[in-house]
Amino acid sequence: MQEFDVVIAGGGATGLRAAIAAKRAGASVALLTKIHPLRSNSGLACGGLNAPLGRDDSAAAFAEDIMLAGDGINDRDVVRAFTESARDDVIWLEKMGAPFNRDTDGRLDRRSLGANRHQRACYADDWTGHIVLQVLYEQFQRSGAAMFDDAFVTSLTVEGSQCIGLTALGLKAGKLDSFSARAVVLATGGFTQLYQPSTASNGTTGDGQSLACAAGARLMDMEMVQFHPTVFPGRYALMITEAALAEGAQIVNQKGEQVVLSDGMSREKLCLAIKNALQNGGGPVMLDLRPIGKDKLAARFAQTSELVKAAAGLDIAKDPIPIAPAAHRPIGGIETNARGETSIPGLFAAGECACNGVNGAGRLAGNILTEAIVFGRTAGEAAAAFAKSSPKKTFPTSRLSDEEKRLAALVGDSSANAGDSLGKVQADLGQLMSERAGLVRDANSLQGALDGIRGLRERYSKLRVRNASMVFNYDLISCLETGALLNMAGAVAAAAQARKESRGAHNRTDFTAHDDTNCKCHTIVSLAQGALQVATKPLEA
Amino acid sequence: MQVTFKVYRKEPGKDAKPAYSNHTVELDGDATVMDGLLKIRDEQDATLAFRAACMRGYCGECMIRANGKTCTSCTSKVSSFTQKSPEVTVDPVRHMPVLKDLVSDWQSFMWDKVDRIKPWLEPVEPGADGESLLPESAMADIRKTMSCYYCGLCDEGCTVLPVDFDFIGPAALMKANRLIYDPRDTITRERFKLAEGPRGLWDCVHCFEASEHCPRGIMPTERIMAMRDKAFQMGIQNDSAARHHYSFAKSVKKSGWLDEGRLAIESAGLTNIKGLAKLVPIAAKALRRGKAPIPYIHHKSPGSAQVRRIIQKAEEKNR
Repeated sequence: MQEFDVVIAGGGATGLRAAIAAKRAGASVALLTKIHPLRSNSGLACGGLNAPLGRDDSAAAFAEDIMLAGDGINDRDVVRAFTESARDDVIWLEKMGAPFNRDTDGRLDRRSLGANRHQRACYADDWTGHIVLQVLYEQFQRSGAAMFDDAFVTSLTVEGSQCIGLTALGLKAGKLDSFSARAVVLATGGFTQLYQPSTASNGTTGDGQSLACAAGARLMDMEMVQFHPTVFPGRYALMITEAALAEGAQIVNQKGEQVVLSDGMSREKLCLAIKNALQNGGGPVMLDLRPIGKDKLAARFAQTSELVKAAAGLDIAKDPIPIAPAAHRPIGGIETNARGETSIPGLFAAGECACNGVNGAGRLAGNILTEAIVFGRTAGEAAAAFAKSSPKKTFPTSRLSDEEKRLAALVGDSSANAGDSLGKVQADLGQLMSERAGLVRDANSLQGALDGIRGLRERYSKLRVRNASMVFNYDLISCLETGALLNMAGAVAAAAQARKESRGAHNRTDFTAHDDTNCKCHTIVSLAQGALQVATKPLEA
Repeated sequence: MQVTFKVYRKEPGKDAKPAYSNHTVELDGDATVMDGLLKIRDEQDATLAFRAACMRGYCGECMIRANGKTCTSCTSKVSSFTQKSPEVTVDPVRHMPVLKDLVSDWQSFMWDKVDRIKPWLEPVEPGADGESLLPESAMADIRKTMSCYYCGLCDEGCTVLPVDFDFIGPAALMKANRLIYDPRDTITRERFKLAEGPRGLWDCVHCFEASEHCPRGIMPTERIMAMRDKAFQMGIQNDSAARHHYSFAKSVKKSGWLDEGRLAIESAGLTNIKGLAKLVPIAAKALRRGKAPIPYIHHKSPGSAQVRRIIQKAEEKNR
């Protein structure tokens, strides 16, 4: 058994920032991650990270833009805390070595992304996430926190209503181990793999949300799934950063005529505008990056150029790129407050796996990385403080043997699968969710989604892992991830069915307007006797 | 299209013997090698182990070799390998120890080496409010280095690593480069000492393979050379290879050609008694074979003044 004050699950930007903060606060810290931190999905955030650094910008102006994008259901106190911290947290990142682009005075240069009404996204060409991740990993290593990579968290251990640790499978040794902790921070990322196509990494499968929900935590605003407007379609759709629009790219039809004016539009509105343009029969909708100019494209869009070439065989300096909206990042997740506290004492969550109400119903472009560093730090500090005040509880050894038995029971004879497979279930689930609980939904489509999920659950329950070794058993990992995705699917569809209005990222064709009387609140999903329950929660003051 | 994959297999453990397994799968025309591997694991052999992460070429996690060519399996189209025959051989990256099947050991191959150079910025302690004021040119160069996504191609192409696995390798040296040229870092001298330790900066044989292999044009070899120059400028020449280079250049500048006796002594280090003692048998052998004239006098070469002018000009240009 391993013992630490704070155990963090997830090695992306949020988890790394939480680990640095908790270690700095004096806690012994371990970070567990299923892939190496530098390979995590945070690296896909390209365009920049918001902070009110401009002379005419302010925390209040930033908050105002967030509230507008959030479409009426942001939690004001969380927005205030976030916007007041953003500047210092981004400057901290700069001081730790982030090589952000500079203006002619040597200050941090900024872009205006999406619906931001100020130039407030600091950026590193189009490598922002990739580079921020490296800087965070550098400082994580400097902190001296322990790291366990190739480690898949299989369960949270809750004893007497308090979270006291977790169990994790080390893929390299093929061994399940228990991690006793005074506080656990979940920073496991989103669940965008629920949709096909989507913009996200293979591992965004809602593992943390699913574990938290099973342990008794509540999920909030799960119906709010953000789509990205400018995505080259395909099985693994390729997001083209909104920084392109900020720097002059245009959305055009085949004749090169501008079909959508993107100026200052929120992601949610832009997605619908592009979807409408695609449905209006004018042929493909394209992103034309040529107005940015060859020099700027070469200097600031090198990664976009490389990835578009690999995915589409197109040259951004010469060819307009076909685009369509695709599922990007969930807004909903494990319910927390601004400090990352969940409804379970000792369990914290931050980043894309969590939902603290900062975004309401829509996330401002350029906020995801700022959220990671602000709320990652806050959750790390809060977890360390909790660990200090929390008496040590004994980790029951039976939890490990129970978990070993549970995993062993998933393994079985390959003949049991009868032509079906985890991959097929995941693919069908992705298609079902995209068609029925995607960018637009209605009561019928959502009922179809719920029925479909039930059928897929049945198929899933019959499937067996066909690899008895525990060493790098990716069939087992796929089985656990698929289970988590099915849980996420149920929560998203149920929450979407319950919110009978359209707001932010949630677009219902049967309820096209806001319903401020009944729906200006959060949606809460929890497990009760194995069944999902949907409730509402009033907004914080 | 129907494609047969011949996949490298190896069980965990040092003694396990590698083998290949064959799998024929039906794939879409635009399928990637990753699609093929996923299908094999999902439908034919659940024990197959390989790495997958971003699926779009962002992250470098899924590097493999397809028909001998090292690539990210998630962006490499199967059709580009099946023009001659509908068979694709999939192997792990060269020189990287294998943990299981196509899962290679990034830890010993790369991460452990990166760790050797204190791979984090030691910042000035916070105090001043607001961001540091820094020139865009310096930041742009660091961004270039940090565009590295640790795909391992530079290390795979390196000609030193196959003969000395413990050589730090170009990827780790690029991490050193990223930090050494960052004006915010406070331990440049210490970092240089770490980088130029045994099997470090000076073991690169500047074959330029790293630069040839880097898919992002970071030019590791050129940056390694630049770091050596900077080390000299800072008066850091602790490694015998560094002293060798220094003595070589000094001798040619002074006399127009190489003073081999002095080179041997200065490379070993004037205060390095152990190193100097090792030279004695070599000197004795040279004497016996008539290769070291006595008395040993190093004359200037004809045209040495011209050589000196050329070197001075080069030095001015690089200043």
